[in-house]
Amino acid sequence: MNVKELAEGLHPLERKTFPKIPSKSSVMFSELAKQIPELQEVEIMRAIQWLENKGVVKTVKEEKKVAELTELGNKYLKTKLPERRFYNALLDKKEHSFEELKKEAHLDDSEFQAVLGIIRQKHIPVSISKERKIKLAVALPEFEKPSVEENFLLEAAGNPEKIDLNDELFKTLIRRGIAKVKDEKSVKISITSLGLELKKVALSEDVIDKLTTKIIKEGSWKGKNFRRFDVKINVPATYASKKQTYRRFLDDVRQKLIGLGFEEFAGPVVESEFWNMDALFMPQFHSARDIHDAYYIKEPKYAKLDEKIVERVKKAHETGFGTGSKGWKYDFDVKRTHQLVLRSQGTACSSRMLASKDLKIPGKYFGIARCFRYDVIDAKHLPGFIQTEGIIVDYNLNLKHLFGVLKMFAKEVAGADKIKITPGYFPFTEPSCELSAKHPELGWIELGGAGIFRPELVKPLVGKDVSVIAWGLGVDRLGMFKLGIKDIRHLFSHDLQYLRESRVI
Amino acid sequence: MPTISFSHKDLEKMVGRKLPIDKLEKSLEFCKAEIDKVEGDDITISVGDTNQPYLWSVEGVARLLRGVLGIEKGIAKLNIKKADKKIFVDKSVEKIRSYLSAFIARGKKVDDYLLKQMIQLQEKVCEGYGRRRQKVSIGIYSYKKIKFPLYYKAVDPESIEFVPLDFKREMTQAEILETHPKGKEYAWILKDCKKFPIFVDDTGEVLSFPPIINSQKTGKVEIGEEDLLVETTGTDLNAVNLATNIFAYALADRGFTIEALEINYGKNKITTPKMFNEKIKIKTADVDKLLGLKLNDKQITDLLKKARFDFNKGIISVPEYRQDILHWVDVVEDIGIMYDYEKIESSPLTSFTVGNTSEMQRFIDALRELCTGLGYQEVFSTLLTNKEILYNKMNVADLGTIEIKNVMSENYSVLRTWIVPTLMEVLSTNKHIEYPQKIFEQGIVVSRKKEDVIQHEKLALVSAHADANFTEARQVLEAIFKAIGVTGVFENHSHDSFIPGRVAKVLVNGKEVAFVGEMHPKVLSDFGIDVPVVGFELDVDELFRLRK
Repeated sequence: MNVKELAEGLHPLERKTFPKIPSKSSVMFSELAKQIPELQEVEIMRAIQWLENKGVVKTVKEEKKVAELTELGNKYLKTKLPERRFYNALLDKKEHSFEELKKEAHLDDSEFQAVLGIIRQKHIPVSISKERKIKLAVALPEFEKPSVEENFLLEAAGNPEKIDLNDELFKTLIRRGIAKVKDEKSVKISITSLGLELKKVALSEDVIDKLTTKIIKEGSWKGKNFRRFDVKINVPATYASKKQTYRRFLDDVRQKLIGLGFEEFAGPVVESEFWNMDALFMPQFHSARDIHDAYYIKEPKYAKLDEKIVERVKKAHETGFGTGSKGWKYDFDVKRTHQLVLRSQGTACSSRMLASKDLKIPGKYFGIARCFRYDVIDAKHLPGFIQTEGIIVDYNLNLKHLFGVLKMFAKEVAGADKIKITPGYFPFTEPSCELSAKHPELGWIELGGAGIFRPELVKPLVGKDVSVIAWGLGVDRLGMFKLGIKDIRHLFSHDLQYLRESRVI
Repeated sequence: MPTISFSHKDLEKMVGRKLPIDKLEKSLEFCKAEIDKVEGDDITISVGDTNQPYLWSVEGVARLLRGVLGIEKGIAKLNIKKADKKIFVDKSVEKIRSYLSAFIARGKKVDDYLLKQMIQLQEKVCEGYGRRRQKVSIGIYSYKKIKFPLYYKAVDPESIEFVPLDFKREMTQAEILETHPKGKEYAWILKDCKKFPIFVDDTGEVLSFPPIINSQKTGKVEIGEEDLLVETTGTDLNAVNLATNIFAYALADRGFTIEALEINYGKNKITTPKMFNEKIKIKTADVDKLLGLKLNDKQITDLLKKARFDFNKGIISVPEYRQDILHWVDVVEDIGIMYDYEKIESSPLTSFTVGNTSEMQRFIDALRELCTGLGYQEVFSTLLTNKEILYNKMNVADLGTIEIKNVMSENYSVLRTWIVPTLMEVLSTNKHIEYPQKIFEQGIVVSRKKEDVIQHEKLALVSAHADANFTEARQVLEAIFKAIGVTGVFENHSHDSFIPGRVAKVLVNGKEVAFVGEMHPKVLSDFGIDVPVVGFELDVDELFRLRK
């Protein structure tokens, strides 16, 4: 920055302070402050700080001991020293009792005792009678003049740095509680060569600092300069209020799925075992249906269901519902199917959709579902998580279509280039497969799973033979990769600083 | 998902071919299995299919791999001799644990590794497929210590004493359930039974107390033994027979000779291992319908033989160690897998559908956009919380809560009934962060009204800073109302989370849709928050209905 720009950028406080700094010698801060009575010390201090940052002045911090009046000393400065008050009270040359004197000279007991000592030291001519009455024998002009102590009081108040801390008199005053020594931090300011350059530039007081409505309306800015700001300096941080990072990611997933022709569906988080499991043809004795896999709720215990559909699903479980299946061959527990659980899989929404009268054929559906599983909470597991699942309903869908759908998801939703489809297992699909993508550092990562719903599932719910591709994406894991998170709990982070600093793209 | 461990060399020996890890990895895909861990020669894999318990053993995996790799074709043969020995099943076990099947395996020395593999298969089958031994449990015995015929019956829990495995003294069955570690672990299976199952030999010697524990004397197989008795009991005849068959095939693969036993149920007599002789019909058109691969009969036959089925004139024979074929789709999947998913081309979907979301979701997104526009940061939380946060700290009574019966952690024991407490939690954990703190959350709350579960979409918003006041919160709410074209009427309200006289309920078209107020200092101090907090909770469902 050249000197001209430097001059234009000076703050009003700097403008008032800088001219008072001498070019040839250094100046103490306290001295400087006296020369700029219109500013407060903190303002001058700030100006010096800024000037130093710009390389215009140099400061040296010094620490030294100086004399200072105590509270008592300051009081005596106003009310005079006790010995002066004592002397003045005796100027009438009459006899005074001790009590009268204390009262007239406003002396407390200890001050009075001290004064008696002082008059002896100073040989002040007083006489004390047997009746303990005091009288000034003679008024001497030398006692009319200010004493050394009185001079000291004035000096200590005005020019404390001039007082010699080793002076015996000063030590006496410390003992009397009138003065003390304090550590004074002082700043010595001197000008730099850049500062000398700046001295040569005329600093106009009349620059515009803050542009105000008044200035704009009156047009008083015309012909004036604006103070130049240091645009390179750091400013305090502020944050944009944003959608939560993981929810933003889920919004993106939603948009992509809509773009791919999928319609969104939803369902309740407190769900019957029927929609959650039984309607999906998962046998009630299946190992994934232990108490340890789902959360059961205390009250209410049972859901209200359409018993006609329950009856059809019961038949499918027991004997196959005329699909050509032999069924699971066990006694379906109708009471149990009404039991309420916290939805453990997003597929519960799919079973509801298939049984709905609003089902479109062909139709493509998705849901972003809150699910719950009985799990220890750690970096990989949460009791509550999110699944993105859905179905594609049409006539004559086959495994090749299923692969096509998975490849589409891998590319469009996960943005994965290299993928792998392998045989998988889900209780409700046959065939089933799993989708993995190659992660540059972590190797093969599971993105999700899919399959074609079993006929024993489809026919009781839809009422006819249609092909249903069911798919699910591990959005929690996808989100973690996308957001660069290693701990799943971070997806639902309550750390406000993290949320404030999170990026949107 | 079951995991099993085995020796890499052993697997290669059982398969009959070298399988370096990368090749093994690919081969295991045909078994729906993947490698979890490799430590020298020790390999751990997880097997995805919970309906095919035969794959929970190195013998079963190797048998399938021999088909996959073309070393063997079609159904694996099991040669069974008749042992001409009997087991009598007494009527007393009916309704307790009705079924038993068993066989003798002879002529192969049991070493440490083989013993471990047998125990692994036994445990996996009993725990997973056997539903923690309730449905199926398996016992292995030292054949030479047993005197046939054998008897399976139910007796009074105090009537018989024997030394259970790993113990030194005799105990009654009742005592075993109370004191033996396995007894305590599995006592739940017999909790409603007045008599307990027992398995004894001709001399009255106890073999085991199914499904709890074997006897120390006959039920402990030692290394070096050559002849074994394997027995399965359970509540489901098919499952019991399947478990027995899985074990018979595994031991036969190991070189044992399998000898069948006659199980005498009084009138009924069956010989086990029991062959199911299961057949299923399949049409070429069905294969094409599901796979879309246009395979001819020859290809279908070859692929089925790879998967260890036999196929003849449209009829498939299912291996005796499988019971998971309910429908032809189950077989067609195996055809597809053996064809190799890697070689299957994908087809695009051809039907045109219109993508869409619900009106409600659009409404929700609009509200969220307004809140961020008003300077509020969105937060996103799990729905599970606890009553301490929902009510005690918020100074209000229970709103009707859905509580979890099988709680994992008290912190996550109920579904949230309102969202403001969640936001207070957020504020309480962020006291070191610069104020003002302005946050909101939109989401589901769930409550209970008698026998009904009520789920609502809500939105809560709070502002926390030194100068937060009622006006500020009301301004935000009114700004939202204006932007969605409704008018709110503010009325006095009583709500103990807020300062009396500084809380309002908000009506739209006469219906209550929100409350707004200044948080009571008692609530603030319960959450350890030192600055004023104002905020509101909005019923999004109700507002959605009223907005038109």
